[in-house]
Amino acid sequence: VRVEFVRAVADVLAGDAKSMFITGDLGYNALEQLSATLGRRFLNAGVAEQNMMGVAAGAALTGLKPWVYSIAPFATYRCLEQIRNDICLHALPVRIAGNGGGFTYGIMGSTHHALEDLAVLKSLPNMQLFFPCANDHVAAAVVKMAALDGPSYIRLSISAFGTNREVLHEHPETLTRRYFVRPSPQKGGITIVGAGHGVQVALSALSHLGLDRENVDVFGVARFPWDLVKDTDLTASVAATRKVIFIEEHYRTGGMGESFVAAGMPLESFRILSASYDPNQRYGSARFHMQQCNLTPEALMAAVRGDQQPRS
Amino acid sequence: MTSKSLSVLEADALSIRRKFLKMHFEANAGHVGTGLSDIDILAYIYGKWLRPVDRFILSKGHGASSLYATLHHFGLLPDEDFATYYKDGTLLPAHPAAKALSAIPAATGSLGHGMPIAAGMSYAQKHVHLTEARVACLVSDGECDEGTIWEAALFAAHHRLDNLVVIVDANGLQGFGRTEDVMNLEPLPSKWEAFGFRTSEINGHDFAQIDAAFETPGDGRPHCIVARTVKGKGVTFMENRLEWHYLPMSQAQYEQALEHIGNSETSKGGGR
Repeated sequence: VRVEFVRAVADVLAGDAKSMFITGDLGYNALEQLSATLGRRFLNAGVAEQNMMGVAAGAALTGLKPWVYSIAPFATYRCLEQIRNDICLHALPVRIAGNGGGFTYGIMGSTHHALEDLAVLKSLPNMQLFFPCANDHVAAAVVKMAALDGPSYIRLSISAFGTNREVLHEHPETLTRRYFVRPSPQKGGITIVGAGHGVQVALSALSHLGLDRENVDVFGVARFPWDLVKDTDLTASVAATRKVIFIEEHYRTGGMGESFVAAGMPLESFRILSASYDPNQRYGSARFHMQQCNLTPEALMAAVRGDQQPRS
Repeated sequence: MTSKSLSVLEADALSIRRKFLKMHFEANAGHVGTGLSDIDILAYIYGKWLRPVDRFILSKGHGASSLYATLHHFGLLPDEDFATYYKDGTLLPAHPAAKALSAIPAATGSLGHGMPIAAGMSYAQKHVHLTEARVACLVSDGECDEGTIWEAALFAAHHRLDNLVVIVDANGLQGFGRTEDVMNLEPLPSKWEAFGFRTSEINGHDFAQIDAAFETPGDGRPHCIVARTVKGKGVTFMENRLEWHYLPMSQAQYEQALEHIGNSETSKGGGR
């Protein structure tokens, strides 16, 4: 995902002399070429994320459009007040890239997981969030961010259950992807919505576990604030099924699932598969962590079966 | 404006102090002491130093009212905006607001934010836009407790931001005590020196010293001016008193304060 991001950002930077790239001392084996190409428009701000965000704001106040890069937890939490005060309150075109959203950094431990990044950022004024569903979704998000006059954040993630699956439709503005459509949309069914790479759990279930293809539609959402009026295929699916299972590699509280249900679509049932905190946490790969919090294709299968039982 | 004599700047500062006290009295607002400690520096920056291409960042956002008074004095803040200070619906709250006034580029108030912003502006001007624009940033001494001040100092020194001047309003008092009791900062000038700044230490109420510090030739490093000041400067009963960070003035105190600053018109004393 880093490769796709760097390639897309390099294109933006090559075409816009007012853009610059700032890294928080990360990017080994990824940013070398960018550094060599950009000269003083490439800045390693060192291990000082708060200053990095303030510097980005200052640069933006002179007319520049900085991209700021770190791993997702470092690009968001320590420097949250700088993002809020210096960047968002001034509506500055600072584009923050957090690499390794969710459990991507698995065995690196809890400090390196980002399971609240969207929650803390989505409430900030003027902030727009992008959370691509897959590597081939990143470039479109980067192009959207580059066109914004205000702040934005992109969550770059790799799913432990990632699978290549054909995209049936991608909305050019919302970036919402339709990955699977059931053959007879009139009959009940369930709408499965994955936030960003959370959708990969559903795609894995489709590809490897025989998820009930007669009864599910699968969408990946990738941008917040929502613009669901434009996502007519998604809203039509929800209107038909009135049942949604939402998947996110993020804590439930403050997550995108809460915001999805808050959009007010008429629903009979709404379930969220999400990450969860365990006070007796043990550590392992991203897949291990997702299994620990029951955020798996198998758990999705069970949820789909459960929602298909007649309600007593 | 660059030819302005120091005696004219002293008269500017006195007018700004009067304006500032009137604002605070009419608004029944605190933060009186902190404004009186930095008005001489602000009067110098806006009266002599700042060119149209340069920018000033008030990192010590609690000094907003002294900045408003200074901007108004120099014709950079319209009467109609100035008259709304501290009132419902104003663009002039107790700490500078974002995108509110063209003369104030950045909202500050949470300490330790303005200096990284100023460093970013300096980097952009010097290394990306390749201009001669300068940036001045006023921080408080208590604000130097914040780690971001020193993150930004490392950054500014590393990138040789000799277009940046940081002024520390060192009045020796912070939110809940004397800096020497709460979190000793001294020796402050040598700390900045060690972080890679060329450093001047002056009486922050003496315009000759302020002018000399700002006018010292650069050597490629960013510049830090440690300005020894007096919180409440010019109003005897406020000077060096913690409570005047918070208290509004009564009618009698306001009248007495006006009398004091009139009497201390030529006094440069007090900078420690």
